[in-house]
Amino acid sequence: MQQVTRKKLGEGVSLTCITTPKFKRAVLRVMLLLPLGGPDGALRACLPQVLRRGTAALPDLRALGEALDELYGARIEAVVRKEGENLCIGFLSDCIDEAYAPGADGLTAGVIRLLADLLCNPCLQDGMLRADYTAGERDSLIDRIAAQKNDPRAWAPKRLMQLMCADEAYGQPTLGTAEQARSITETKLTAAWRRALDEAQIELFYCGTMAPDAVENLFAATPLTRPRTAALYQPHTQILAQPAGAPRETVETEQVTQGKLSLGFRTGGSCLTGGDPAAYWMFQTLFGGSTSSKLFLHVREEQSLCYYASAQFIAPKGILMVNSGIENKDFETARDEILRQLDACRAGDITDAEIESARKTLTTNWRAMLDDPLTLERYWLGQAAAGTLVSPEERIAQVADVTRARIVAVAQATALDTVYFMKGAAE
Amino acid sequence: MSTTKTYSALGERMQTCTLENGLRICYLPKEGFSKTFAILATNFGSVDASFTFEGQRYDTPAGVAHFLEHKMFEDKDGNALQKFARTGASPNAFTSHTMTAYHFSCTDRFAENLEILLKFVFTPYFTEENVAKERGIIGQEIGMMDDTPGWQAMVGLYEGLYREHPVRVSIAGSVESIARITPDLLYTCHRAFYSPKNMALVVCGTADFDEICRMAAAFSPQDAPEIGERHYGARREAVNELLVERHMQVSQPQFLIGFKDEPVQPGESRLRRSLLGQLAARILCGDTAPLYAALYEKRLIGRDFDVDYALIPQGACAMLGGESRDPAAVREAVEREAARLAREGVEPQLFGRMKKALYGLHLRVLDVPEAYARQEATALFAGEHYPDFAALFDTIGPADVQAMFARWARRDRSAMSVILPK
Repeated sequence: MQQVTRKKLGEGVSLTCITTPKFKRAVLRVMLLLPLGGPDGALRACLPQVLRRGTAALPDLRALGEALDELYGARIEAVVRKEGENLCIGFLSDCIDEAYAPGADGLTAGVIRLLADLLCNPCLQDGMLRADYTAGERDSLIDRIAAQKNDPRAWAPKRLMQLMCADEAYGQPTLGTAEQARSITETKLTAAWRRALDEAQIELFYCGTMAPDAVENLFAATPLTRPRTAALYQPHTQILAQPAGAPRETVETEQVTQGKLSLGFRTGGSCLTGGDPAAYWMFQTLFGGSTSSKLFLHVREEQSLCYYASAQFIAPKGILMVNSGIENKDFETARDEILRQLDACRAGDITDAEIESARKTLTTNWRAMLDDPLTLERYWLGQAAAGTLVSPEERIAQVADVTRARIVAVAQATALDTVYFMKGAAE
Repeated sequence: MSTTKTYSALGERMQTCTLENGLRICYLPKEGFSKTFAILATNFGSVDASFTFEGQRYDTPAGVAHFLEHKMFEDKDGNALQKFARTGASPNAFTSHTMTAYHFSCTDRFAENLEILLKFVFTPYFTEENVAKERGIIGQEIGMMDDTPGWQAMVGLYEGLYREHPVRVSIAGSVESIARITPDLLYTCHRAFYSPKNMALVVCGTADFDEICRMAAAFSPQDAPEIGERHYGARREAVNELLVERHMQVSQPQFLIGFKDEPVQPGESRLRRSLLGQLAARILCGDTAPLYAALYEKRLIGRDFDVDYALIPQGACAMLGGESRDPAAVREAVEREAARLAREGVEPQLFGRMKKALYGLHLRVLDVPEAYARQEATALFAGEHYPDFAALFDTIGPADVQAMFARWARRDRSAMSVILPK
């Protein structure tokens, strides 16, 4: 078992430590958990980018760049992501373990101080976030919102979630809207920053060789753990077990060559914290989660309809999604074939070999996760946001005794909610 | 004969051996890791489209290396992917400009998986039917790449930098070129380039080195044809086109600026050149460089801006790019800075910290089996080992970087590829 320690460092401040000697690098994260969507969406998405421009002590990119190089090329990236219906903003860092370079003592402490400074001691002018930094990052955010459509393979699933969850927080854009972004000012942003520090759940993470107590002491010495009195945001996600009505279908035309087909399903309630997630992972994997899945074998290999067709279980929200890239003329054929494969699962048309292969694939994936600190960071943030703390090892144990009957049951509980087809109109 | 190499500064110990048939094997143990990763790579990529083999010249259609990669999984007794499914391993493959590689990661039954890998890569099985079927799948992959602006920017840059070199052509080829690929042609390419002499097996994780060598000897062919001569066209020092533009559905222009460098010279260390090129590119405009900060503050570049240095047979280039509302202004600033660095050299403090950072980045690759194994295979093909980087760093000084900038700053050595909104 990997040594995972979770500790409360203050009101609404938790530290997850994975202590292991096997890596040459350490991964650290400071993240604020806040509501997803709402009128402050763009302000929150803009915030880590502005904070990443400089701290009181290292006031611009030149000074920050020098400091990061001296920390043996430590990387610190601003992060905006969603976990269930929670927005996560903050900073993710990876750096070398101090044992592997001459004169690198104190490197981890340096990175922790810098992470805390970026969040709590930014570069201010007259008590406000700098106007030029704010204006620059506001315009960049507007560009990034527009740029989401540049990569059709990434855009189609996002668009599907907007359509399918239009009435839920999950359908709200992580980056906010361009209209919200245009109204960002340094005054509003400074207020949003102070509010976020007062109200957010703060999730800290460390994976590396250092003992948990030592990591705790380093974080405890930063303003991240100062006492807070405001009412704290409680992360939560609303799960819709069934679609609200009959399946919906949306076709949109874009100037791209290849069509992109995305199908969204409700899981009948299976999610990180409810239903039968272990059986659901088994079902998702044999349906479309590996190169031996029904979608890969039938939609790609047998019918040559696509280069990729895969199913993804969005466990924090209780959604199953299928994504595929196809020729425009094959929309109906591909959609029907995907649904036919789902029907086969529902009818129990699943071989023992498929079940065992799915179990092994999942076991391999979760075990392999233990070797990748960046994946572990993401995994444990997902757990924290869902208010559960199940380790990858426990997930492996949970799928060990999943039966065919349970797989068929969750397949039968799965209901199509929305079909999205991005039709290519380019030559 | 197996050898153990110890890299004490890196805390790594590597075992290597070369089989009688020429297959190079390298194993990097990773204590405490759950996963073992294995890659079997051939020194055959999309650029190796024209070659002379057993006395005959072949000029193959674009995309043949990639097509071969897709078809290798198929065997007479079924698809290798399905054999891996029974063990729970995650298999995959890729084709780059210079390499085709097959790999898997697993958390148990390593020997069984290694056997599947060795058998399917060394056993070609192509029929008219299975080749025809694959055209549909690859056609869809080509369509996907056609819609990926970052990829198209790179294809455009290589068109700008090179007039004849086959790196100009997209790795997967086109729907038209793959229509001309036949089973016979695939057999020829397999025989010519999947010779153990032209290949490397790299394993990283927790396995038994002797077992790896035993299995590789048992499941790789004794017959190892000599590798033929490859033809990359006539080389020119100047770029082919200064500016290449395409139009796609993008919200703002995406661009890549390239500086054409001289190829690795006979006797020169490829790994050292790669380190030097990456260092120079980072000093020029990496995300901690002074110019990066200046361009970022003017909102000419964003956090997506990145730099790299690429080595191909008979070619080398630095690449810098991302999204910008004004790529021409970025290009002008980058070229001006390259000329300044060529003239004035790099200040010692900047050089020192950039080198330190690059060392840290290379060190971290040793934690990522997939990344390490790919780098190791590349290094093996050049007769080196990836962890040699630590010692090579000590041989790189400011004058080396300045000499590189001097080459980049010469007339007609830079090209730019831009993807413009439709």
